[in-house]
Amino acid sequence: MADSNKNAFPFAFFAGGRTNEIDTNTIIRALEEHNYLADEELATALFLLLKLHKPILLEGPPGIGKTELALVLAELLHTDLIRLQCYEGLDINTSVYEWNYQKQLLGIKLQEGSDLSVEEKEKHIFGNDYLLKRPLLRSISATDKSPVLLIDEIDRSDEEFEAFLLELLSSFQISIPEIGTIKAIHKPFVILTSNRTRELSDALKRRCLYQWIDYPELEKEMAIVKKKLPGIEQHLLHQVVTCVQNFRQLKLAKTPGVSETIDWAESLMVLGYRDVNAKALNQTLGSVLKTVEDINHARQQGMEALLKD
Amino acid sequence: MKIQAFSTGSISESIVAFAQFARSHKMNVGIQETQDALTALRELPVTNRNAFKYALKPLFCTSPEDCKLFEKLFILYWDTSPVDLGPKNKTTVQSAIENNQAGSLVMMGGGENNEGVEDGKNVTGASEAERLRSTDFSKVTEIDSKLLEQIADKLFKEMALRLRRRMKDSTRNGQINLRRTIRKSIGYGGEAIDLVFRAQKPKKQRLIILLDVSGSMDKYSFFLLRFLFALRENFRQLEAFIFSTRLIRISGAISGNRLEDTAVLLTQQVDNWSSGTKIGNCLEEFNDRYGKRMLNGSPIIIILSDGLDTGEPELLGKELKKIQNRSRKIVWLNPLKGMKDYQPIQRGMKAALPNVDDFRSAHNLNSLLELENILMYV
Repeated sequence: MADSNKNAFPFAFFAGGRTNEIDTNTIIRALEEHNYLADEELATALFLLLKLHKPILLEGPPGIGKTELALVLAELLHTDLIRLQCYEGLDINTSVYEWNYQKQLLGIKLQEGSDLSVEEKEKHIFGNDYLLKRPLLRSISATDKSPVLLIDEIDRSDEEFEAFLLELLSSFQISIPEIGTIKAIHKPFVILTSNRTRELSDALKRRCLYQWIDYPELEKEMAIVKKKLPGIEQHLLHQVVTCVQNFRQLKLAKTPGVSETIDWAESLMVLGYRDVNAKALNQTLGSVLKTVEDINHARQQGMEALLKD
Repeated sequence: MKIQAFSTGSISESIVAFAQFARSHKMNVGIQETQDALTALRELPVTNRNAFKYALKPLFCTSPEDCKLFEKLFILYWDTSPVDLGPKNKTTVQSAIENNQAGSLVMMGGGENNEGVEDGKNVTGASEAERLRSTDFSKVTEIDSKLLEQIADKLFKEMALRLRRRMKDSTRNGQINLRRTIRKSIGYGGEAIDLVFRAQKPKKQRLIILLDVSGSMDKYSFFLLRFLFALRENFRQLEAFIFSTRLIRISGAISGNRLEDTAVLLTQQVDNWSSGTKIGNCLEEFNDRYGKRMLNGSPIIIILSDGLDTGEPELLGKELKKIQNRSRKIVWLNPLKGMKDYQPIQRGMKAALPNVDDFRSAHNLNSLLELENILMYV
């Protein structure tokens, strides 16, 4: 399986197509061109994902760009992004495949007059035309190149689903009783994300490359916000990021992530504020803190404490 | 075992030995990981030390805790030169871990119970088993305790089975399973004659248990632990903690099947119990460290404690309130409640009660088995 992918190592973005000279630095640069700042550690993990075709498990608090990374990676590789959002109760029918029942019923009716045997009829209505491919099946049936498969918030799914994933992630094949086994021609690049709302099974973790992403440091976060909002003034940028960094030190019910920082900075810019003052804080705190208790708690700290380096 | 990089002959050998070294420090590194590491390093142009480290890290680690340990082991293994490693400072991470564990012991279930002997015998019942079922745990004699363990095991198992069965029965009616129905209809020429139903999956209730293992709970702890093991079979999403002056998560420890080993393990990990129980602080720690991940989807919380608290009662009340807001139900099991004339007047218990949904006794087998009724209808 690995052989079929070796030649198609899909770094189309890489000028000249000198595919063998990929290293972590090229990955960092390429990600940066797509407005994603990665450090060497993350880039190395991505390198291994691309080379070894092992799934990567990204864990970390919400809102620090885990999902974003998958989006950017797909863009970078000029390939499809197939996304599966997990939730409690996610089952095979919604994640792998389902038969198109209405169409099947029609198909049966249409065949009523024909001389086909029962076996032939059955074969017909369980054919590819009647199959609804869901994300996981789509991810292994790509015909031209490896897609990026994003399995988002895996920690929300049931253990049963996790067990099913094990099979998929190790052999990249899916069995459909009526059709047979479908094996991937191009193995997808799999990215799993988790917020750690529950512990994942050891078996699943062992099949993945593990990468823990934490809240960025002040400078890095400023750089990220700057990337997203190039028009922001340095003074406001510094204040906003400092303030959010201080929020994270407080014991809040919902600690703001980088995406909240960006939202907040954007809100302030739209409202025309050039620095974070008491009025601005009152007006826009809701875009960074998401519960009443948190907002009250933050207000009690006072402006000086919040803007302190 | 070669525990430093310099003592190996080639880079491949070094990596294999490093994998072994990591494994010996309880990291989950198997043959697959080692192989992957070797493959990765063949592919990756290793230009500096960090590139090398970052390549191994995602392969060897499976949690943030692992990552921390990895950093330590990496330095220890690759950065130690023979010069630094004189016979004097030949310390490993392992020995440091062992030192940490050497705390004072809690004798679970094996405490002194001289004065209890009389009381235990005075309880009259129809049979030996009946008598033991209603005997206070703290008054069970040494001889009886073996018997009681057997009875407890049997009853707990039955309880677990009943809980499971009733879950299945209650979900008999469900939606029509179109997929199966159509499959079956082929035989009738496409008419859906046999309807196939899809039963609703029983929703698994999540359960979090906080077990007090302080000195005052000594005699009860062991039976409560046994009870916890029985519940585990039925609630796959069970999280368990023990606490005295600090909180320790034991979900991992109880996932194995060896009760005795776990009990020993717990006694090793609990220290300082003589300094009193700080329930409030432990709950605060629970909220801070685990609250966000575990209090999702309204779990049931069971707290097994006598409520003899030496910490601040206000903190206890406040933290308990936080938990209550995010859980379906808080059940407080207090062994002392089984005593005659017991009044929840200790400071801790008094502060806790307003935030507890169900306050029950847990002093004998019967009272524990009554929990079944709570767990069934949630």
